[in-house]
Amino acid sequence: MRIVTSSLICLALVAQGAGAQLGPEQPGVATLPPPADSWFLVKSSNGSYIFDGETGEMQGLMSHQWYTPAVVTLLSRGEAYYVESFYSRGVRGTREDVLTVVDMKDLTPAAEIDIPDKTATLSFRHHIGLLGDDRHVVVFNMTPAQSVSVVDVVDREFAGELSTPGCAIIMPTGDRAFLMMCGDGTLQYIELDRDGNETARTRTDSFFSVDEDAVFDKPVFTGRGWLLVSFNGLAYEVTEEEARVEVAEPWSLLSNEDVGEKWRPGGDQPFTVHRGSNLLYALMHQGDVDTHHDPGSEVWVFDLERRRRVGRMPLETEASKLLSSQEAQPRLYLMHEDNTLGIYDGHQLRHLRTIDEPGPRGGGLLQTLARHD
Amino acid sequence: MKLTALFEQTLRTLDRAIGSGSRQLARSASRRNLLTRVGTLLTGAAVLPLLPVARALAADQVDELGDPQSCDYWRYCALGGSLCSCCGGTYNSCPPGSEPSPITWVGTCRNPVDGRDYLISYNDCCGKSLCDRCWCHNTERERPVYFPSKSSAVLWCFGTESRAYHCTIGVVLGEAGPQG
Repeated sequence: MRIVTSSLICLALVAQGAGAQLGPEQPGVATLPPPADSWFLVKSSNGSYIFDGETGEMQGLMSHQWYTPAVVTLLSRGEAYYVESFYSRGVRGTREDVLTVVDMKDLTPAAEIDIPDKTATLSFRHHIGLLGDDRHVVVFNMTPAQSVSVVDVVDREFAGELSTPGCAIIMPTGDRAFLMMCGDGTLQYIELDRDGNETARTRTDSFFSVDEDAVFDKPVFTGRGWLLVSFNGLAYEVTEEEARVEVAEPWSLLSNEDVGEKWRPGGDQPFTVHRGSNLLYALMHQGDVDTHHDPGSEVWVFDLERRRRVGRMPLETEASKLLSSQEAQPRLYLMHEDNTLGIYDGHQLRHLRTIDEPGPRGGGLLQTLARHD
Repeated sequence: MKLTALFEQTLRTLDRAIGSGSRQLARSASRRNLLTRVGTLLTGAAVLPLLPVARALAADQVDELGDPQSCDYWRYCALGGSLCSCCGGTYNSCPPGSEPSPITWVGTCRNPVDGRDYLISYNDCCGKSLCDRCWCHNTERERPVYFPSKSSAVLWCFGTESRAYHCTIGVVLGEAGPQG
């Protein structure tokens, strides 16, 4: 009797398994949902990985080169733009630089715009800038002579090249203008017309010394203008109105006690601003002079209105890159030295989740899909 | 057997020489002077083993110490990149088949052996794929990208057949002036 019962059970299980048999499938392609405010990019050596900060899930990849400095996105046109510098035979042959236009629907190239074969080719968020007219993208060149290429992304054409000796870093301002940092401690203002031709160029007075206390080449957009921070922790807020560039009196991120304890800002991407709550986040470490690339052991939070520190978040693992989302409740993205990406609540300063494999180790940038970071 | 005879002969010769030398010394020097000279000799002999660098300098003109495959090597104080010494080259030679950039950034590094500051040219080696070994990111007196002559955050393959970056070397240009 027992044998008969066992046999019946076995037959029932086999019959149930046969009913669940998988049928043949065809390979499919996932559809990218519309970009959300919680999305961000990890720009790496072989492409930009798009993650959703809310879930930690990867959404897709924009393929580009190791040489691509950064990505700018213009969601109103459903496009992203980045520079690529090709050789016809990989690392040899004929060089060809282009501005690649990416369709954000499926992250594939929609167009290429030929530009001078002069682009500066290392990861730098501000080697490319989208101007306020939503038409012109400005690309930094170095041969080593410094210049910029102006590209019309609406008409898909190269508009012209402007020589910018002694200056680098593109900080868009106003409708159709940008600022650059210069080696003599000044900022350069350049304004364009609708066709991308230069119509005005001015310089501020020198307000910092490259030798004594250089400002980082990592400015951050505040919503009102740009924030520049020096190696020794002086913060300069820069605004522009009707072609007049104002540099406010600097204030220090560091108290006398902090200086005594050798705290300094540092890292590959040491600053970010949450514009909605007017908070500056900075990666800080304890070190000597010339440690401006050292990773941070803490994140310090500053109220830009009151110009004072309002929070500290010690890190279990040091981090070299920092980015705030621009959601109402900001998320902080930190690239840790062990190549994990930590996601933190930017107001409560607590850990939310970790992305263990955010892309290839080293290099790269963290970016939002906003027009500026 | 021949070796034993030779050894005894050498000992006898040494014995005679030392005895003769001692007698000569006794005739030409006072006892206090003798003690002074012997003391100086002994002190010098004791100190000599403490100065291997100085002895090496005197003997073989070694003027640099350290591991060129380490980021801590003195020439690399402002080097950012992949070390060519780990890629088939040396600290001042590009790997085979790559091309040194004629345009560079410059750092000022102190050689711990002679205590002098030297101007170091950091030449990128170009025209091959990224070596991607022994990454180094030192920033002594390094400056931002808008001041390129002292910035490592620039791909310096300028004036070369290809802009493809392979690795970086550190070449001594000369002793640095007071401003570095």
